[in-house]
Amino acid sequence: MDASSLALDPLRFYTVVTAIGFGVMGLVIAALRVAVAWKPYRTWLFMLPVVFAALWLGKLGWAALVTVISIYAFKEFAKATGLYREIPFVLAVYAAILAMNLFAFLPHYGFFMVAPLWAVAALTLIPILLNRIAGMLQAFALSVVGVVYFAWFLAHLTYLAQAPSGLGFVIYVVLATQFNDALAFLFGKKIGRHHWTVISPNKTVEGSLFALATSIALAFLNWSIAFPQLPWWGVLAAGVIVGIGGQIGDLTMANVKRNVGIKDFGTLLPGHGGMLDRVNSLMLVAPVFFHFMGYFFGAFPG
Amino acid sequence: MSLRFDYQPFPDIDKPLREQLGQYPRVPDITLDVLRTLARWLVIGAIRAQYRIARSGAIPTGERVALLANHRSHLDTLAVLAALPERRRRRIAALAARDYFFERLPRALAASLFGMAVAFDRTRYTELRRWARLLETQREGWLLVYPSGSRKRAEAHDAILFVLAHSGWTLVPVAIEGSAEAWPVGRKLWRPFRTIEVRFGEPLPASSTKHLSAELARFWSSGGVADA
Repeated sequence: MDASSLALDPLRFYTVVTAIGFGVMGLVIAALRVAVAWKPYRTWLFMLPVVFAALWLGKLGWAALVTVISIYAFKEFAKATGLYREIPFVLAVYAAILAMNLFAFLPHYGFFMVAPLWAVAALTLIPILLNRIAGMLQAFALSVVGVVYFAWFLAHLTYLAQAPSGLGFVIYVVLATQFNDALAFLFGKKIGRHHWTVISPNKTVEGSLFALATSIALAFLNWSIAFPQLPWWGVLAAGVIVGIGGQIGDLTMANVKRNVGIKDFGTLLPGHGGMLDRVNSLMLVAPVFFHFMGYFFGAFPG
Repeated sequence: MSLRFDYQPFPDIDKPLREQLGQYPRVPDITLDVLRTLARWLVIGAIRAQYRIARSGAIPTGERVALLANHRSHLDTLAVLAALPERRRRRIAALAARDYFFERLPRALAASLFGMAVAFDRTRYTELRRWARLLETQREGWLLVYPSGSRKRAEAHDAILFVLAHSGWTLVPVAIEGSAEAWPVGRKLWRPFRTIEVRFGEPLPASSTKHLSAELARFWSSGGVADA
């Protein structure tokens, strides 16, 4: 495998780079002696092969993985807020997740864009069909969050893969966001002194700025492989979207946790918490990146 | 008047899957419920393909029913499940030793999905008190209990009988015959193409632990024939 063949194939390139980067990250954790980072690191050892296996399986594999992740993340959200007791609402959001990922996979831009409207319209029918009043406003409101945040926002990850150079987009968005998270956590722990938000008291100015800086640096490092068609300002914007969007997504779900009074959304991923604790930063980055690329560079079919 | 949302997170949100699988009462979970239904159909089909399940006695009725069965084989739970109609089967929870079935995830998955098992911690001193409170507060449920606690023991434990006797639940004796020959204790594989008999007795009257123990011993030793 020579350098030119790597450069032509983002998936092969990122598989190799991620394997090396993951090893280096292990060395960094060992060197900085951040004992608390070992548990999430070991969990990544299982997660990375799953993500890359789905990508290697192609667009269908990726769509299936995004759908499963969306359903599981929404399930955690519904259990945390108590919405899970309202089974008809939960099933409606599950159906919306399946439908939106299907429209993203086909891809059918018109259906994909209008799907949240139809899903919310369908949700309005549930209290009427159940002929109930008590608790229905809360269940409806939380289900709308489910439709928009877990079905529609996350389905953009499926749609991202449909662009001619979609694999590069997907891998960049996923890896940069996760890498960003890991670095913000690591350096926040090591050098962070100034806390800046009550929503997530562990967040520090130093960790957040470092995360933003590394996101922008990562975007430029990935320029030639992930989005070679972009001008410099597009690459800068991609870095900013990941650097800021990831942290807003993280804080949004942290706010939900503080409101309902839980620490983590689950225990599925040791060292990370639940699935939602892991993908929360992706939820905002995926749609913003998608529409940025679509609006300014016409990157998507449909 | 201000509008306030009332969030009530599920109690199992911070529990690992292994513990979620074994909890009683079961918390609603669409994924696990669907998997349980599929696994149940699969295992009941497999059992019926390999064994003749001969059921006798009336299927008990009631909202709170505890089936008290003798236990000599891993096939016992599956035989009782196969002998019950689906609407009863889907509600049942079989008490299973936490230290044996719920210490590792693969075994917990198998026990919970195929055998409808819930965890009973026989190593904890306070477990019986916890179950006594649980049974008291439950308004409905079907339990499959092996009062002997083990396949290697024939007599019922007085402590669990005491809890059941004072629970207010309908206590129904169940005698299982033929399962010990179909899959004896200590053997790695089962022996197919045999008959397993499952006999449901008449509900036992609420009485002293000693009386309950004697009634169960009589029912099990006669294979349920005396009662039928």
